Formats: sequence, structure tokens, C-alpha cells
Amino acid sequence: MAVEVILPRVDMDMTTGKLTQWFVAEGERVEKGQPLFEIETDKAAMEIEAAASGVLRAVTAKPGDQLPVGTVVGVIVAPNEDYSAAGVSAPARAVAPAPFVAAPAESLSPDDRAPRPAGERSRMTPAARRVARESGVEVAHLVGSGPHGRIQARDVAARGAPALAEGALNRLWLARGQGRPLAFLHGFGADLNGWRPLVGRLRPGRPLLALDLPGHGLSPLGADSSFEALVEAVEATLVEEGVGDVHLIGHSLGGAVAIALAKRRGKSARSLTLISPAGLGPEVNGDFLAGFLRAESERSLAPWMRLLANDEGALGSAMVKTTIRQRRERDIAAAQRSIAATLFPDGAQAISLRETLANYAGPVKVIFGLDDRIIPARHARGLSGLVALHLFPGVGHMPHFEARSEIARLVEENVAAGE
Amino acid sequence: MTAPERELSFAMAIQEAMAIAMEADDRVFLMGEDIGVYGGAFQVTGDLVDRFGEERVMDTPISELAGAGVAVGAALTGMRPVFELQFSDFSTLAMEQIVNQAAKLRYMLGGAVSAPLVIRMPTGSGLGGAAQHSQSIEAWYAHVPGLKVVEPTTPHDAKGLLLAAIADPDPVIVFEHKLLYKTKGHVPEGYYTVPLDKAEVRRAGRDVTIAAVGMMAVRALEAADALAQEGIDAEVIDLRSLRPLDTKTIIASVKKTSRLLCVYEGVKAFGVGAEVSAAIAESEAFDYLDAPIMRLGGADAPIPYSPVLEQAAVPQVPDILEAARRLAQGRV
Repeated sequence: MAVEVILPRVDMDMTTGKLTQWFVAEGERVEKGQPLFEIETDKAAMEIEAAASGVLRAVTAKPGDQLPVGTVVGVIVAPNEDYSAAGVSAPARAVAPAPFVAAPAESLSPDDRAPRPAGERSRMTPAARRVARESGVEVAHLVGSGPHGRIQARDVAARGAPALAEGALNRLWLARGQGRPLAFLHGFGADLNGWRPLVGRLRPGRPLLALDLPGHGLSPLGADSSFEALVEAVEATLVEEGVGDVHLIGHSLGGAVAIALAKRRGKSARSLTLISPAGLGPEVNGDFLAGFLRAESERSLAPWMRLLANDEGALGSAMVKTTIRQRRERDIAAAQRSIAATLFPDGAQAISLRETLANYAGPVKVIFGLDDRIIPARHARGLSGLVALHLFPGVGHMPHFEARSEIARLVEENVAAGE
Repeated sequence: MTAPERELSFAMAIQEAMAIAMEADDRVFLMGEDIGVYGGAFQVTGDLVDRFGEERVMDTPISELAGAGVAVGAALTGMRPVFELQFSDFSTLAMEQIVNQAAKLRYMLGGAVSAPLVIRMPTGSGLGGAAQHSQSIEAWYAHVPGLKVVEPTTPHDAKGLLLAAIADPDPVIVFEHKLLYKTKGHVPEGYYTVPLDKAEVRRAGRDVTIAAVGMMAVRALEAADALAQEGIDAEVIDLRSLRPLDTKTIIASVKKTSRLLCVYEGVKAFGVGAEVSAAIAESEAFDYLDAPIMRLGGADAPIPYSPVLEQAAVPQVPDILEAARRLAQGRV
């Protein structure tokens, strides 16, 4: 009865998939319909169920293997059956056509359904080809972020040669406008895109600048992962963008960076809005950091990401997907491990900015969710009486997602106070 | 204190251009259906007949072909006629004179003559004019060698382009969107021209280029303001001149933004967007494209009378917004 276990095609564009884990060990019994192994494509991770009942034999793929669609990765046979006689031979071989297994609906838009004929070279925009040519980037194994897996210029830039000069950070003007700009500094493990929902709630008209911290988003990490180096890189980027007077808004690690920047900049830092800031106390959820940095699939990352918000639905699944994609495309996890080892060794915050904050003369708001499971809200206690505290019940570590309108209002108020 | 800038409506800017041209040059005269005492179908000629008399603001019979024939003949014999059609749709009746005569005579007679003729054509939908009074047929004329085709979107350009068209030695067709006649804007006093071969970057941006024609450029600007709130920085090019097309400006923009959306009110197929897209694909900007070129154009249908369907038949602000957003976010 031997039934081949095949790496399936879970979406029409897929040519290879990564087997991330087996749920059943070789030699174990498996029931038809039981989860057998997990695969990951550039769009999704999903469990593949056993197509038959029996015993798993002749496993040829191990977790982490990137395999062509249709590869036979094992065989399910009747107990005691001589499976070698069933014509299955190791090592893995590809068969075609591969069965089509429906992917999660959200990963397929109607535009994605056109199949790419076998053997067609990868889809790549003219701009991506030009960037690859000019920077000498090898594109053969690039994963495209566009529709149909199309490789776009940013995919090449992300993979390739330093698109950014040493020390320069990726930055984006989320809005242009008049008056003193607002600069947004994201938290550990995040990137500048996390500010988009909040920024959408702000009154239009002001220039809004967001940065990727070193080792985050599209910003490279230099040789130095110290806190001072992060601050230095952000300052250099602000100077490059011609930013003088500025209102600083920081979340978590970005909050700590904002405090240090305010010290450096003196009066040109017009106001400080600190959302769940780091640097105000010794504790940080070390299990979260370890789990977050260890995760290699959406399945293993999602449980940790759920700790971020009190309402577990507040963040959506896109953040998990994006984080995993970034890790796959760039060596971002290594950079972040290095930062975590320096700033948050053994689940402690090695940086303290309480004194620095006490010496800052401009308006400060400290915002915490009372149900923050990453940095405890009690770090907000004992600050100067001039610091405004805003404590949100029922909110976790992500107030700018969980209480968007309220945080937007507080940012507006603090910016007005700092003018 | 400086005086506030003088504002005029689009229609009055055109009227002022015609008055200035007639005052400066006896050869310039206006002709068209009901442009005299009635003041024109859209009241653009207004009371010019009182100032310049019926010989220079001439009502023509209801025959577009006869009117165009007179205009071409007058142009060939040294006059500078400005011929108004009530609706660009009616120009089908005058096409023999425009396409086979005015556009070709300089070429056929070895440069011995030219036809310095201006034809003004109210264009576009939005006023409930239905299938025979609402078309956008710029591309038909832009296809003809020997013609120049322009379409202003501001009162400033309406005056400057018309004065440049009247001064030009060859036939120029000026499309005027009906929805723009009442819009107001700064118009300098006196004589000035706007070049007949230059697009205008109305809004500089880095993320996506929106190249648009006529009313669509106005809508694209509105969409760009909304996009800015989302952090998408759109560059809006008002093409302004369709023939000759200012490819240089579009190429420079696409090299900067890597993404191109072309918006026009005429039927999408075989339209302005096809020419703009091909011009970019054939240019050095090709290597800078980071997404397929997108076109938004009119529906493949006559313009319906139903106001709801009329709106649905041509690109609106939300359509431009969504298309540009998808382009800028790499979802196309």
C-alpha cells in the first residue's frame, strides 16, 4: 500500500518549499488526516496532513531542507510492510506534477493565481535587474516580495551589497509638511512600518520622519551594537535629513534612544513622547526576547508576538509574517541577537536613562499599558513630577496599536506643548 | 503690502486670451456656432461680439464641416482663425478639413503654405451630456502628423496655451474640459504664452509618478494629497501637451520614482496611456521601472446618460488613489 509523502505545491507560484519540522518521527504510526510535517513558502507556513494511515518510513528530508515541489520526502506503509519493495528509493527524488493543496485564502489574491510555467526564469522588475547588475548581487536565490514572487528593487537592495553607507540608517518621510518634524523611533525587533497605523491618526500637515534602528528593517548593524552606537547612528541620520528642531516619539527601545538623543540635542529636542519606554528600570521579559529571537517560523513566532498586546488580535497576523520574511531575506536575527546581548543580557535592561530623563527640560509624556507583559508599567513610577504619566488599563506593550486614537491625541498634545 | 493675485475663471482666461490676440493682430478672428450674441455654448466668447463686431466674432451655420472649411481656407490665405466647436464630439463632421486638409497641406505643398488655425473643442464628461456630448477624443487627433494637441487644466495655462496656439504657424487643437470652465486661478495680466510642447510637474514626489491628462490631472492632484497622508509621496505630471508629447519630463520622473500610473478620461484602449507607456518602455527609464506600468482610462463603452454610470465610466479620485497606492506599495 506504500503511499509516497510528497512536498506539495501550496500555491501556484511555488517552486520550492522549506520543510520546517516533522510532527511524526520515522517509524511512528500516523493516522490519515493527522498533521505530518510543516512547510514554509515565501507566503505562508502550513501543516501538511498525512494522506494515508500507516507507519512513516524512508524519511529523506530533515527540518530546514529547501526542496523542489514534488520531492518525495518519505513514505507511509502498512506496519511490517517491506517498503523498499514498493519502489521508493532514497535519496529524495522529484515527481511531477505535484498535487495542489489549497493555501490559506488570504495568501492568494486573484492576481496570484496565474501559474508560472515550469522552467521560466524568475520574475524580476527592470529596476531590480539594474540594481543587481550595478551592485553585483547574485539574484538566483532571491525571494521576491512582489505579486507572483516578483523580485523588486528593494528585495535586491535588502539582500545585497550595502544599499546604505556604513552607519546610515534607512529612513522614510511618512509625510511631508510644514513646521518642526516629528521623528519616530521603533522598538526592538520592529521597523519603521509599525508607525503607519498611528501616523494615520495624526493631524495632517507636519513632516513625519521614521527611521529603522540599526539591525532592524532595512538598516544594517555596524560593527558596534552598543547603545551609544545606536544613538549615534540615529543622530547622524537626522543630521543627514537636515533635521534641526525635532519632536521625538519613541517606543520601547526607541524610547530609550529618544531619551539619549534628547540629551545630545539639548533644546533642539522639543518634546519627548515615550511609549512603553525601555531604560527606566531593570526588568524586561527575557523569555519573550529569547523566544522572539529563536523563532524561525510563523508558528513558533506567533505565540511570542501574542505577548506584545493585551488584546491578542490587535496586531494582526501580518506582523508575524513580515518579521519572519525579514529574517529569511536578511541576516537580521543575528544583528538583533547581538543588540539584545548587549542591551538586554540575561533578561535585564543594561541601560538606565532615568537620570538622563530627569535632566531633560522639555515636555515629557510617558505612556504605558498597565497590562504590559514585556516591560512592567511600574517603571513609570518615581519619575520627576514634571513628567506626565498616561497609564492605560487593558493595554499591553503596544499602546500605539492598542489605543491608537488616544496615543495620537497624546502625541499631538505633547508636540503642541513643545512648540 | 502686495496686491492679491488676480484670479479669473478658466472660461474668462480663454476669453481674455482671444481678446488680447484680436487687439494685437487684425488677422485673428473667431468663428463658431452661437458664439456671437449668444456668447457660446459655454459662454466662453461672452460679449466679445460687442467689442469686436460680427465680422470678427462670427456666428457660423450649423455645419461643422462648412465652418472648418472656411477656417482652413482663411488660414491658408493669411488669416488666423480661432474656430470653436460646441462639443468635441461634433468634430467628426469636420474631420475631413482638419485631418486631410489642415494637417497635411504644408507637407503636400512642400512648405509653400501653412494653416495657422486654432480649433477649440470642449471635451469630457461630468455634465450629463451622454454618449454624443461627453467623449474625450484627444487621442484621435494626437494620432495625426501635422496637428498639435494641447489640453490646459488651469486658467493660467488656458490663456497661455491659447495665445501660443494662435501664434503658432500650424493647426493646433485645444481641448477644454467642460468641468473646468468655472474653476478659478491666478491669471497674469497681458500677453504671455505657455509652450505647446511642455508637460508641467504639478506636484513633486518620490514614490510614484502619476501622468495625467486634463481633468484627470486635477483629480490626480487631489488623490496625491490623500496619498501624502498615508506616507506615499506621489509626483503628478499634467501632460498638458499630447502632441508633441513631452516624454523628457515623464522619463525624468519615472527614473526618480520607478513607478508610473497614467490617467486619462478617453477610452482606455489605444489611448494616451498606451503612447505614454510605450514611450517609457522604449526609453532609458525602462531600467528604472520597479513595477508594471498602470493605466486608468475611460470604460470601453459610450458615456452613459445615468449620472451614476457616467461617474463609473471615467476614473474618479478614489480610483486613482487606490491604483497609485497599490503601485507604490509594490502590490501590482
